[in-house]
Amino acid sequence: MNRPTPEQTSRWRADGVVPLPGALSGEELSRLQEAFSREAAEARPGWLQGVEQGTRPAAFFDIPDALPRDPLFLDLVDHPSWYGHLMAYTGGQATFLGAQFRTLPPAPLSYVGWHYDVPRSTPLHLKVQLYLDPVSRRDGAFAYVPGSHHPEAGPWPLVADPGQMPGHRVFEGEAGTAVVFNSHGLHTSLANRSGRGRRSIILIYEVYSEATFNPDAFARFADRLTTPDRRQLFRLEPRPEAETAS
Amino acid sequence: MKDRRSPVIDAHLHVFARQSAEFPREVNDHLPAEREAPVERLLKRMESHGVDGAVLVQIGGTSLEVHAYLLHCLREHPDRFLGIGLVPPDCEDPGAHMDRLAEAGDGRVIGFRLSRLGGPADPFEPVDVRRLPVYPIWEHAAKRDYVIWLYPRAVDAHVVPHLFEAFPQVRVVFNHLMVCPGPRFWWDEKGRPQADVPMPPETRYSTLGLKVGRIPRNTRGRYPYPNVYVHFSGHYAFTRQGYPYPDLAGWGDSLRMVFGAGRMMWATDFPWIDVDPGYGEVVRLPDEVFPDLAPEERRQLMGATAAQVLRFPAFRDSGGWLAP
Repeated sequence: MNRPTPEQTSRWRADGVVPLPGALSGEELSRLQEAFSREAAEARPGWLQGVEQGTRPAAFFDIPDALPRDPLFLDLVDHPSWYGHLMAYTGGQATFLGAQFRTLPPAPLSYVGWHYDVPRSTPLHLKVQLYLDPVSRRDGAFAYVPGSHHPEAGPWPLVADPGQMPGHRVFEGEAGTAVVFNSHGLHTSLANRSGRGRRSIILIYEVYSEATFNPDAFARFADRLTTPDRRQLFRLEPRPEAETAS
Repeated sequence: MKDRRSPVIDAHLHVFARQSAEFPREVNDHLPAEREAPVERLLKRMESHGVDGAVLVQIGGTSLEVHAYLLHCLREHPDRFLGIGLVPPDCEDPGAHMDRLAEAGDGRVIGFRLSRLGGPADPFEPVDVRRLPVYPIWEHAAKRDYVIWLYPRAVDAHVVPHLFEAFPQVRVVFNHLMVCPGPRFWWDEKGRPQADVPMPPETRYSTLGLKVGRIPRNTRGRYPYPNVYVHFSGHYAFTRQGYPYPDLAGWGDSLRMVFGAGRMMWATDFPWIDVDPGYGEVVRLPDEVFPDLAPEERRQLMGATAAQVLRFPAFRDSGGWLAP
């Protein structure tokens, strides 16, 4: 399991975002891309029907209830390329909340704009975004305002063009690049002006708290959650006392 | 008339007469031949509630002939009303149709309402706006400075920003809270059209481009297309609660943050609201939904923006139509 280097830990504290180039590669990445595309193709007709009905967004396509669809998917949650980072940044208290297996169609607009995900009153909330395609600025790349996760940061201007947000950084990368970020900070997906879909997987975590403890949430995967840490990560069991978070 | 510097303008409503030789229109189960919403009734409501002007939106068909009552109202009350026409979906020369209506209205038919855009239903398919069936309408609107009155269906929501990018010079008024309804429409027992739409609308990710709606004020953004305005109207059709529609308050706040009150236009959608909640209640709705509305914001939302952007002749001031 990869633990963060001292530089990455400093970066996490200062910026709230750490890129992990090459987090997945080779055969492992290829199998994941194939599984994703297969399941996306299977789910797409239902999504198109929802788009027509106005009950599903056209601006992004999520594979519904993706985790049970392929054994590879569940194993991403504690993948060694980033799980060590999550545990270090949360003082060993990371719990898994959910996942989005998302494809972004081409569009002139960013579908989300600059935002944070949860109120600052929420315990540390983290995400891992894993690119399954090469992502340049024009492919709907992830962008983050380093340092915006700090409680005293801001205020931030209302911008019409996401590219005008002061101090932001765009995270381009090859397929297999992961970005770990603190979702109290301002982030966005830039507009996907590439003319092609952009696949990524977003894994969502939070520091353990009684508020989110829910043994039922992932109980259906219990036969695969056989170690104490996995059972705690997936909230089947509570996390023990916290270490000091990095 | 009220203070000319701060007109109150109802920026979207419908009037229609009983079907007759003088005022032909199409009829259906919801608009039978004997149903009417005459302009005289509207004028009473406006006078009772201090409303100075209104935008009359064609209903009852798209051909030139069935615009007769709209044109009649515009001629009879030139200081009160501007009009929005419709274009037949199979029109071979939409530009000529648009010009004939504008001429027949003596310049007071200022724009045209569009619903179906005809784009690819699959958002992953490329959008070439020049191949859209509505492209000639937008192109002619750009050429002749007509306003596009936009009420797209959900299936076309992802096409909308492509048109905004292609026609930055065209003034667009996005109808009814920027909702793009799906196909499930019906009429309730009060004679009101209803749409089964999740609120905030899922189409907002395509049309607004901002993640607003779930966590108040977690998004930092302004609308990127300065030529686009949005109606504060249509609540009765999307709510699952009664007036003042508390289930839509968050979405209203989001639109106000993204557009600013200066790019919003209040409207009643008369006559559908005439029974429930009543015209006066809809006049008061902005103050119910936005209790912190500053006087200048209120002035803009209630009519100053409509007067300037839509260029109401009666409300022109020394600053010109588009004075900030």
